[in-house]
Amino acid sequence: MPLSSANKRALSEENKGEPALTSKRSRTESKNRELDEPESCATMTEPQKKANFSALSGNGISRHASPLANAKPGAAKKLVIKNFKEKPQIPENFEEQTWLKLAEAVGAIQRSCAIRYSLEELYQAVENMCSYKMAAGLYQQLQSACMKHVRANLQQFLGDTYDHEQFLKMMSNCWQAHCRQMIMIRSIFLFLDRTYVLQTSSILSIWDMGLDLFRTHIISHRTVEARTVDGLLNLIERERAGETVNRQLLKNLLRMLTDLQIYQEAFEKKFLEATERLYSAEGQRLMQERDVPEYLAHVDKRLNEENERLLHYLDSSTKKPLISCVEKQLLEQHLAQILQKGLTQLLDENRIADLTLMNQLFSRVKDGLKELCTAFSSYIKNTGRLIVVNPSNDAEKDKDMVQNLLDFKDKLDNIIEVCFAQNPKFVNAMKEAFENFINQRQNKPAELIAKYVDSKLRAGNKEATEEELEKLLDKIMVLFRFIHGKDVFEAFYKKDLAKRLLVGKSASVDAEKSMLSKLKQECGGGFTSKLEGMFKDMELSKDIVLAFKQHQQYLDASQAIDLTVNILTMGYWPTYPPCEVLLPSEMVYLQEVFKKFYLGKHSGRKLQWQPTLGHCVLKAEFNSFGVRKELQVSLFQTLCLLLFNENNEYTYQEIKTATGIEDSELRRTLQSLACGKARVLHKTPKGKDVEDGDKFQFNDEFKHKLYRIKINQIQMKETQEENTSTTERVFHDRQYQVDAAIVRIMKMRKTLTHNLLISELYNQLKFPVKPADLKKRIESLIDREYMERDKDNPNTYHYVA
Amino acid sequence: MAEEMDVDREADKETSSKPEKMFTLKKWNLVAMWSWDVECDTCAICRVQVMDACLRCQSENKQDDCVVVWGDCNHSFHNCCMSLWVKQNNRCPLCQQEWVVQRIGK
Repeated sequence: MPLSSANKRALSEENKGEPALTSKRSRTESKNRELDEPESCATMTEPQKKANFSALSGNGISRHASPLANAKPGAAKKLVIKNFKEKPQIPENFEEQTWLKLAEAVGAIQRSCAIRYSLEELYQAVENMCSYKMAAGLYQQLQSACMKHVRANLQQFLGDTYDHEQFLKMMSNCWQAHCRQMIMIRSIFLFLDRTYVLQTSSILSIWDMGLDLFRTHIISHRTVEARTVDGLLNLIERERAGETVNRQLLKNLLRMLTDLQIYQEAFEKKFLEATERLYSAEGQRLMQERDVPEYLAHVDKRLNEENERLLHYLDSSTKKPLISCVEKQLLEQHLAQILQKGLTQLLDENRIADLTLMNQLFSRVKDGLKELCTAFSSYIKNTGRLIVVNPSNDAEKDKDMVQNLLDFKDKLDNIIEVCFAQNPKFVNAMKEAFENFINQRQNKPAELIAKYVDSKLRAGNKEATEEELEKLLDKIMVLFRFIHGKDVFEAFYKKDLAKRLLVGKSASVDAEKSMLSKLKQECGGGFTSKLEGMFKDMELSKDIVLAFKQHQQYLDASQAIDLTVNILTMGYWPTYPPCEVLLPSEMVYLQEVFKKFYLGKHSGRKLQWQPTLGHCVLKAEFNSFGVRKELQVSLFQTLCLLLFNENNEYTYQEIKTATGIEDSELRRTLQSLACGKARVLHKTPKGKDVEDGDKFQFNDEFKHKLYRIKINQIQMKETQEENTSTTERVFHDRQYQVDAAIVRIMKMRKTLTHNLLISELYNQLKFPVKPADLKKRIESLIDREYMERDKDNPNTYHYVA
Repeated sequence: MAEEMDVDREADKETSSKPEKMFTLKKWNLVAMWSWDVECDTCAICRVQVMDACLRCQSENKQDDCVVVWGDCNHSFHNCCMSLWVKQNNRCPLCQQEWVVQRIGK
């Protein structure tokens, strides 16, 4: 609660010389009394006051009740309050005297000398002056005293020769002295600051006034400002160039600029300009000089340095513009060049750390990641294309394609996970890129993937444990997903699966089933139903044979031949070229007995023998050395060998006539028997190839370290013929699939426009097909009266029931 | 090309007289492909090959049960297609003879 200044002044004048305690107490009294009658207090003498004080402490109410107290009987003393006879005067030269005292103190502070008066005294002086309404004048005088001093300081900064750092130190010292002084001065003039200055909105607080003076008279001097800012920039530039500089000095001066509120206009703008110039030039230069990883490391270093600068001396408001300036000059300007110059190398060499840094840096600038992602994607496309495309159809290269693709994928997965933080954009870009390049070469990738799976599922592949195999299959499924012509995969997969099943070469039933379920999951039951059918056929065949062996006729006909049978469902299995051979009579008989048995069980069916797939075990006796062997051979080999039971020598033509085996098959069969490792036949003349005129004799002197010998059929180089036919069949089947799909859709929808039909077809078909080809199939179905065009609207079709 | 099967060591050496046969068939794995014994391999009702299940059975995943039926006229269809057909019209869709089941495949 503010004291009434007039009262208090009067009191303090009167009580001069009294002990401080009394003075204080009287002030308290007057404070209390002024509530009733502010004038009266001056009339009281000292003892009166004391009495009054004690009365007050006894009963606080009595003083309020004085008029009433008069009326009461027994009130012996009367308290009379009178006005001053004369208004108390302040000494005439009070203002000048006091100011002189204060001015002297201010001067001493500014000169950093000892002050003659106690601070309390000075404070009191200020307080008194304020109380006598001299505040305005006091403020004026203080201001001009400060101004004079500040002005006097200017000269030192205008010297002709100066060194940046020297100058800055000078400035910093001056500023700090100024602050120290102003704090001191403000403490003395605190009363002024808190009362007059606070109530007068048009003038600045003492501290602000000090700042204002410093700003106006020192810093805003053109030369000084320029020198200061240049000095600062010079110092920062030197630090950026690697020198160690006085960071404290920088910090002090920048704080000064901030306090003076000219940080932004005087310093920051120029600073950012200088930064931009520096880094723009540096970016240009280093992009030329350094390779990308080095450059990125440099950028990272620069960003860290600038952040440190912010931490140590720059104002935090500069952070955003500064960092973005560095990012822009060092990164954004060079995005394309960095990617073009360095990304391929980094990815090729799998430079995880550098790629991580690149991702980090690029994520800072606008469109950085987008560009990185695009470049990443085109890298995958280019590299992948090199793996996949093989214009000369070099079998050696194709052999490694799938393994290379898997390795490539692994590498990229790792990079995306570690370097690109599993960013979904990159994951998608990779998927798209894979899909793009893998389908640049038609069919072959699908075929090779199928063959790769075969090589892994085939018995004898002991490289991997079940778990590893399972993992590998999962990876292959990822590649498979990218393939457009999934039916090509299926065709080749099926062919190999058939071989594995029929020759009993599958490594593990579990792995087969697992692969099947993966395919099913990926492409739906329709895709795998036939493959599943193949497994089912194998099971059913086992049952049939068991049943047949119980059958009386088998016992009669078998003649100790141990028969096993595989009955395959047409359509599930690959188609094999039909072929007829001449079997020995006992085999024909056994075969017929089985056929009768089978058809008795399954009416409405017909059987077609597949001699190419049959195989046998033969007991052989070579008499010269009395050697007995068991030969594991194909049916064709069996037929040839059985002939030699009748005769010791045959010509090629004779064998051909006797067995009825097709020419090229027979040549390969005889080659395997007479030119391979285990030569049970002699050929004359000797030679690798079988000619028409060749003769074959039984090799009575056959020797082999093993008892049971497997004589492999010489594989027709699976290549062209078989391969082409598989591919051709796929394309042929596609026609049927398109037809079937069209009919299916039309049957369900009855009426459909052309466009809707086409789009539904694309949803259903699992292989790439051109719209023109679809149109042809539609035409063909219209010709065959499966559907018809609408009479009014040729773009609409109706299903014909 | 021959390849050894790592099996039993050479068996008993026998120096008997020359046997009748040098080669005897011990084991035979016979392979055959079965298909429905039909004249036309497409079902005229659903227009799907008879070796494949009809569309209804395909969608219901009952491929194994989708057998073929022959009429007296020797025309054949999916059994399930035909059984739906005869509910509307008891004639063979191909020759219009009255439909009498001759046999059902299994």
